[in-house]
Amino acid sequence: MITFESVTYTYPNGITALREINLQINDGEMVAIVGGNGAGKTTLIRHINGLLKPSIGRVLVDGLDTRSASVAQLSRKVGIVFQNPDHQLFSENVEDEIKFGLKNFGFPEDIINKRVNWSLKFFDLEEYRKLSPLMLSGGEKKRLCLAAVLAWDPKILILDEPTVGQDFIQKERLSQIIKMLLTQGKTVIIVSHDIEFIWPLQPRMIIMSAGRIIADSPSELIFNNISLIKEAHLIKPQLVELYERLRVKPNKPFPNVYEARVWLMNKIRGR
Amino acid sequence: MYWVASGFLFQRVDSIIQRLDPRVRLSLSLMLFILALISDSAIKITITMLTIISLALISNIAKRMARTTLFSATFAILIFLINLLLDYGLITSLVLALRFIAIITSTSFFFLTTSPDELECVMKWFRLPQDIIFAFVTAVRFVPVLMMDALQIMDAQRSRGLELDKGRFYKRIKNLIPILVPLVISAVIRSSELAEAMEVRAYGATKKPTSLYVLKMSNKDKFVMIMSIILFIPTIYLYLFAC
Amino acid sequence: MSDLISVKNYNFTYAGSNKPALIDINFNVKKGEIVVIAGPSGCGKSTLLRSLIGLIPHMYAGKSSGSVIVDGLDVSQTPISELAKRIGFVFQNPENQIFMFSVERDIAFGLENLQLPRDEIQNRVIWACELLGIIDLMKRAPYELSDGQKQRVALAGVIAMKPSILILDEPTSLLDPYTAQELINLVKKLHDELGITILIVEHRLDLLLNIASRIVIMNEGKIVLDGKLDEVLTKKEAMLIGVGIPTIVRLQNLLKEGGLDLGRISLTVVELANKLNVILRDNI
Repeated sequence: MITFESVTYTYPNGITALREINLQINDGEMVAIVGGNGAGKTTLIRHINGLLKPSIGRVLVDGLDTRSASVAQLSRKVGIVFQNPDHQLFSENVEDEIKFGLKNFGFPEDIINKRVNWSLKFFDLEEYRKLSPLMLSGGEKKRLCLAAVLAWDPKILILDEPTVGQDFIQKERLSQIIKMLLTQGKTVIIVSHDIEFIWPLQPRMIIMSAGRIIADSPSELIFNNISLIKEAHLIKPQLVELYERLRVKPNKPFPNVYEARVWLMNKIRGR
Repeated sequence: MYWVASGFLFQRVDSIIQRLDPRVRLSLSLMLFILALISDSAIKITITMLTIISLALISNIAKRMARTTLFSATFAILIFLINLLLDYGLITSLVLALRFIAIITSTSFFFLTTSPDELECVMKWFRLPQDIIFAFVTAVRFVPVLMMDALQIMDAQRSRGLELDKGRFYKRIKNLIPILVPLVISAVIRSSELAEAMEVRAYGATKKPTSLYVLKMSNKDKFVMIMSIILFIPTIYLYLFAC
Repeated sequence: MSDLISVKNYNFTYAGSNKPALIDINFNVKKGEIVVIAGPSGCGKSTLLRSLIGLIPHMYAGKSSGSVIVDGLDVSQTPISELAKRIGFVFQNPENQIFMFSVERDIAFGLENLQLPRDEIQNRVIWACELLGIIDLMKRAPYELSDGQKQRVALAGVIAMKPSILILDEPTSLLDPYTAQELINLVKKLHDELGITILIVEHRLDLLLNIASRIVIMNEGKIVLDGKLDEVLTKKEAMLIGVGIPTIVRLQNLLKEGGLDLGRISLTVVELANKLNVILRDNI
């Protein structure tokens, strides 16, 4: 469980990036954090694994105060995958890249090997085991970054703009992976403005603006408020827009195209 | 996130001084530098320092100048202590330490009041080759960007359990590899993208591109230039021979 | 009518690679078209764009055959600086295409290199800034701009060179959806006001449904589909290759599979909703 207790954060140059944040994220939740540039999203996630410590207030991760724990200690529980793979891949080969985190956390050799094998298989990277990460395509690099973090099995996974520069197939894969992690009881937090990607996951949505949380509710409710959407620099998912324009409609927007099809076909055929 | 690199970014401040031609500021800076060099008595260094401080105040850079000077202050204190130990006397030691600060601040006066754009114009005026000027411009432009990269890389690797400040000397050096490798790689990627972007905007089509900004001395600039020289020459004379 | 871009039987392999990056490309673009180029990463889109602006073969060496003619010029025989007057190129990352310390100076960069007279440069900079709505940003430094503003500056920098073709390589991938839509609208405006021909690579096709006249889909170095948006996006291959088919198009494809044919595919939500409303009313 993650708890923010009236957290305010001011950068050394005097700019306040978070103001009075109160937030609780429970185990197994799927959360999307959205908002324009400079809204404070990246500052917020950096508080969860202790990269940044609150100026005022406190952040608790499973009851552990982030001010009294090291980044390494917290990262064991909270895995963050940052946006740009080129900012983290450095090893000679794919296998070593995955080992890096496991070694840092002091896993024994046999477990390291097991975990490496598991994540190579899970992320479909086995054929690249001995290849340099630099030789991989954009999508494969992204998967490797994910593999390198999930290898140490953190309870909480944070994805920072995971879909930037990714093509459709990669996005679909990513979506599958996220769903699988959720069934395993992991907490998944996504920072993204790719609304067409987020919508089918039907997360709890947190909208940030100017360092504050201005909305926090299930995704199906968030798009009722037009001024809110504008402030978050979002546009409506196409399925929501379609839902709103239909004269006959179910009681809530279609979460994905498949359910939209089922409903429409039933309505039209099921006379 | 740019806060981290903010020390490296030029901050545009406006005042009568900034509105002068950068060459006038360069010559002012040079004159102050020469005065600082030959200030070898309490009176002289007082006059020099007062001149620098008042110019800094007029041009609204006093605060930033104080910040950059803070760094050199350590050296100044060192100079003071060494001279004191070598029996030069309190006043002389103080003068020497202050002279060091005066030399630093007189040069930083130019750099704190001159935007990279103007600096480029001055370099052009000195007829430096185009490639060197452009290399300088991009270096200055991208230092903060690379610093941002470095910080993001550090965040990413620390999030993977890397502990930078742990272990013995050898381990600490080894810990830098996960930071340096991605930094070099992203710098290479960035520079190749930069090269492509330059090419498609006709960079290198000519050795002598025209320039949107050209330096032009207005009457005001000329007046300040002449006045400063008129004041400077007798001051030099007085500094060297009178007191 | 003669084509502005004409690529014939073109093949290209990067030096040091044994896998061709482009295979037998035949591709023509008429004046005034808006063409979307899509395909999975590594499909050859970037290589094709580089071949049009002359980065290939002048900057990247390799083995090629066939011909690439842009605005009547053979790309392999024309220096990039000459091509740059005809083709404007906007890259994905705005940070890496702004070199100077002020917006106006950066927009002037290409014009300075072309040795235009100073007053002409001034006029064009102001013209481009007005066109792109960034006149109040002219004196700003790059680090004082948001990503969306940076991308506009980059766009202004190439528009100031008055090209007849504008190429954009995933220009919105770093932008939030709202800002991305704004940028695309701006591109449309440039097309309508200047009659400029546009080639745009995008993963987010939903942004382009209303404006593009044609889509080219590439896969493994080849052009596999080329045609009108509504025709190409309903093809099975497009789905299988992994092009980011917009949600409403996917829904219509699914409905069609299930036996509900809505006729010509709708590219806007409004149109689709209207169609569905008619059917739903008739059925209830």
